[in-house]
Amino acid sequence: METTDLSILFLTLRVAAIATLVILPFGIFAAWVLARRDGAWRTLVETVLSLPLVLPPTAVGLLLLEALRRSGPLGRLLDRMGVEVLFTWKAVIVATAVMSFPLLVRPARTAFEEVDPRLLAMARSLGSGPVSVFRRVALPLAWRGILAGTLLAFSRALGEFGATIMIAGNIPGRTQTMALAIFQRTQIGHDEAALRLVGVTVVIAFAIVWTTELLTRRRTRRTAA
Amino acid sequence: MRKLLSLVLLAPLAALLLGAADSKNPELLVFGAASLTESLQDLGKAYEAKTGQKVVFSFGASSDLARQIQAGAPADVFFSADTAKMDTLEKAGLVKAADRREFLSNALVVVVPSASTTKIASAEDLAALPKIGLADPASVPAGVYTKKWLTGLGLWDKVEPKVVPMLDVRAALAAVETGAVPASVVYRTDAAISRSVRIAYTVENGPPILYSVAPVAASKNPKAAEAFVGFLAGADGRAEFTKRGFLVRDAK
Repeated sequence: METTDLSILFLTLRVAAIATLVILPFGIFAAWVLARRDGAWRTLVETVLSLPLVLPPTAVGLLLLEALRRSGPLGRLLDRMGVEVLFTWKAVIVATAVMSFPLLVRPARTAFEEVDPRLLAMARSLGSGPVSVFRRVALPLAWRGILAGTLLAFSRALGEFGATIMIAGNIPGRTQTMALAIFQRTQIGHDEAALRLVGVTVVIAFAIVWTTELLTRRRTRRTAA
Repeated sequence: MRKLLSLVLLAPLAALLLGAADSKNPELLVFGAASLTESLQDLGKAYEAKTGQKVVFSFGASSDLARQIQAGAPADVFFSADTAKMDTLEKAGLVKAADRREFLSNALVVVVPSASTTKIASAEDLAALPKIGLADPASVPAGVYTKKWLTGLGLWDKVEPKVVPMLDVRAALAAVETGAVPASVVYRTDAAISRSVRIAYTVENGPPILYSVAPVAASKNPKAAEAFVGFLAGADGRAEFTKRGFLVRDAK
């Protein structure tokens, strides 16, 4: 294979990082809003946002493919703007971003819910506007949960397979991430080369889970106290 | 805190801009049938040495690659293992019909692990195997050709229950290499690249196998795409394909 393990690793890290950065502002915003609302609407929005967690990734991929194909609703718009998405690295971002989104929102929402509402009320009574309350009180208090969610979303983005192969294909050097390369190498009988990549993914996964574990554990201890 | 917030908001924008930088690379992207992997990779290197034009490849089942082109994949050249996929794309106006070339043929063989004692004297013997690896006969050219061949002999109904469908012809080859199936039907050129399989049976009087190559109409680099197709169909391409065991015909 022309593409080296290292170039596949960089491509994977790059798309996962971009996807995580793209969903970060939206995820934090959604988590903040959801943490402060109640009722049927909240449940509906929560359910819709969580669907990528529950649906088969290939189902999400097919829905994205239908939306983004040239004749599709979004595809037509993008085509007019001259933006190519399907089967390019941008499609990898789209797929991983959609699949990772709920993993960011859930821990972030829990973190926002744990912020003492009296503190928020106090900040408001001292003259802070809603943006300022969010930025200077809620965000600093909830950062640990947001970070944990970000790491989870990032790790999901690193390993996403089903939705990615549906809308981005498996093009070496362009859309082929670690997960796709492992699959392709196994398919053509290069198990050893695939196992090398598996080794790399184990190291990365270990580091991420370890970090997340440390972060969440400290948070639990603090809320228990 | 303000800095952090603006960072969080600006990061996606910066990330998108950063990514946009690599979208104008001048590489030629060729979608090729899995069976062409080694020959096209060698020809790509030779072409780069000769012209300076870098060529990159995505190999897979021709049916899968055609589907990706239909969905708008940014390929510059498509090299299919059959003419049917190319016809579909041509009808949809997705490839340049005028520059379409068909000059490559192949043969079907049954491969078994080198150490296997399995004897296949005729097509009937296939039905006696417990399992047969085959590129998905519903769409992948190698599988479609095999199905056509066995249907013609009136044997498909007997063989079909034994078929383990694979993503492409190379996956069918790998399945024999790893011993996952006792035998697979692949192209003769696939068998030639593997050291751990041997040809147990060569299909005679099978359906005609014809590859098809054409520049993709939506290519942003149409001149380079046409030139590369010309190179593949020219003397250098023919020599390489012949060396790999393909049957090369007069270019159409």
